[in-house]
Amino acid sequence: MLFYGTTVDGLKMGLCFAVLALGVYISYSILDFPDLSVDGIFPLGGVLSTILMLKLGFHPVLAVLLTFFAGAVAGALTGVLHVRFKITKLLAGIIVMTGFLSINLALTKFLTKTGYTTTIFSFKSEGLDGLFGGNFLSGFSRNVRNYIIIAILLLFVIAGKILLDLFFKTKLGYMLRATGENEKIVTSLGRDPGRYKILGLAIADGLVAVSGALYSQLYSSYDNNSGTGKVVLALAAVIIGMALFSGARRVKDTTAVIIGAVIYSLCLNYLVLVDRDGIYLKLLNAVMFALILIFNDKLTALNHRRRTVKGITAKSEEITAGGEGDA
Amino acid sequence: MLKLKNITKVFNKGTVNESSLFTNFSFEVKRGEFVSVVGSNGSGKTTMLNIISGTLPIDGGSVELEGRDITRLPEFRRAAVIGRVFQDPTVGTVPGMTILENLSLAANKGSPYNFCFALDRKKSTEFRELVSSLGLGLEDKMNVPVGLLSGGQRQALSLFMSTMTDIDLLLLDEHTAALDPRTAETIMTLTDTIVKDKKLTAVMVTHNLRYAVSYGNRMIMMHKGEVVLDKSGEEKDAVVTDDLLDIFNEISIECGN
Repeated sequence: MLFYGTTVDGLKMGLCFAVLALGVYISYSILDFPDLSVDGIFPLGGVLSTILMLKLGFHPVLAVLLTFFAGAVAGALTGVLHVRFKITKLLAGIIVMTGFLSINLALTKFLTKTGYTTTIFSFKSEGLDGLFGGNFLSGFSRNVRNYIIIAILLLFVIAGKILLDLFFKTKLGYMLRATGENEKIVTSLGRDPGRYKILGLAIADGLVAVSGALYSQLYSSYDNNSGTGKVVLALAAVIIGMALFSGARRVKDTTAVIIGAVIYSLCLNYLVLVDRDGIYLKLLNAVMFALILIFNDKLTALNHRRRTVKGITAKSEEITAGGEGDA
Repeated sequence: MLKLKNITKVFNKGTVNESSLFTNFSFEVKRGEFVSVVGSNGSGKTTMLNIISGTLPIDGGSVELEGRDITRLPEFRRAAVIGRVFQDPTVGTVPGMTILENLSLAANKGSPYNFCFALDRKKSTEFRELVSSLGLGLEDKMNVPVGLLSGGQRQALSLFMSTMTDIDLLLLDEHTAALDPRTAETIMTLTDTIVKDKKLTAVMVTHNLRYAVSYGNRMIMMHKGEVVLDKSGEEKDAVVTDDLLDIFNEISIECGN
């Protein structure tokens, strides 16, 4: 029973972090920009959505969507620091992250200690209507509620994934991919690669903020320290997902990243079962990440070999025979 | 159509290592000329290309293209009308994207990169036909990431991509130097065909004297930031590789090498 509960908790957490991982996938994987500002922007999403709902009476879904823009502005700031002022990627991220720790703290001043509001996940309770109004969900058992919460999260994650997949098929999306892989070609196409970096970071950190908003709504709380370790978590999710599916070209990167986030969150939750006092949690976390990185290389190499043997080698022979190549 | 006027370029300005490469360097290319540029290392060939493309800032003088002063335009703005192929075959393409995807990027140069889908069935067929006209067998690899192609194939693709849209000038920066002799030959033939078919104006830097002699309709030799030999038309046709080599050696002896 304990294991079951942990799994359900892990799934919920994982889907929340899947949005975060999608953001980091854009910055880290597509733009080749390890964006450390994530640790400051994740809580920004949380505190903003809380203020919007609690103090300004915004609809919870609208609150989540609005935090996207706040995160986008923060991400663009990281981009501008790097592109226009030539600050290195890591430092630009650290500067923005540090700055937002204070901004988040200042924003929490708008919040009294506790308050009541409807979240995306809320059921009728405490005299408040749930998101779907009236008595919806109130009659369901705890289990069913959990499934519904997971379904709501899935809805957000899948919507995000589909939008991203579509985006990366557009001309603009192609340019973003080109920017990450070969800046020079963007220049030769008559465009400023700096602009695409800023735009890409804006989208990435917008998603990070949305993830923070979902997270705070899911747990009905906001914590200024909730950003700590989110870069590592998201990177781990991205790396696990991409390594697992590096052999399957049919599986889109976005899907892989989402699954990676869920797997990593489940692992984190199972670790708590092992270490009840939580003393070694961070250590176990670090060891797990190290192991993932170590095995990631082997797995990717293995998958790559499998794929090469299957498809590409045969093709490259053709190339050599057919023309001028030395594949 | 391309005019370099009184260009001054100083490297490491204000340090003990200060060295000036170009002093009042002027050079003109007329429309339709295919200029091959030869010269020893450090003669300023590649620097000249970098100045034309805007990769390097200059310390004095001006660059004009089609009557427009482009001296102050950043590199990416000049690139709208200048195509360039580099020595390194990896520079001209996006390795993780397929041939189709790369082509769709290149074909869209000059138009906005917006939220329209980059590829559709019609475009894919169109690109496949275009590529098959190259005769390199690339049309069967349209969905293969470019990173998996050989250096020669990637360079052919780079060349093709940089000339897909209308450009005023094509810059070739030792674009066959990293390839094996046979592949280099293929790329050179392809270059010649493309330049002739599209009636392009081109400047090609090369270390291969034979290419400099047999391709193009004008040839210059550079030395220490100056043009020491400039032959075009019939004069150029009369030049043979051995003559060039002799001049090369003469210069080198002067320098005490």
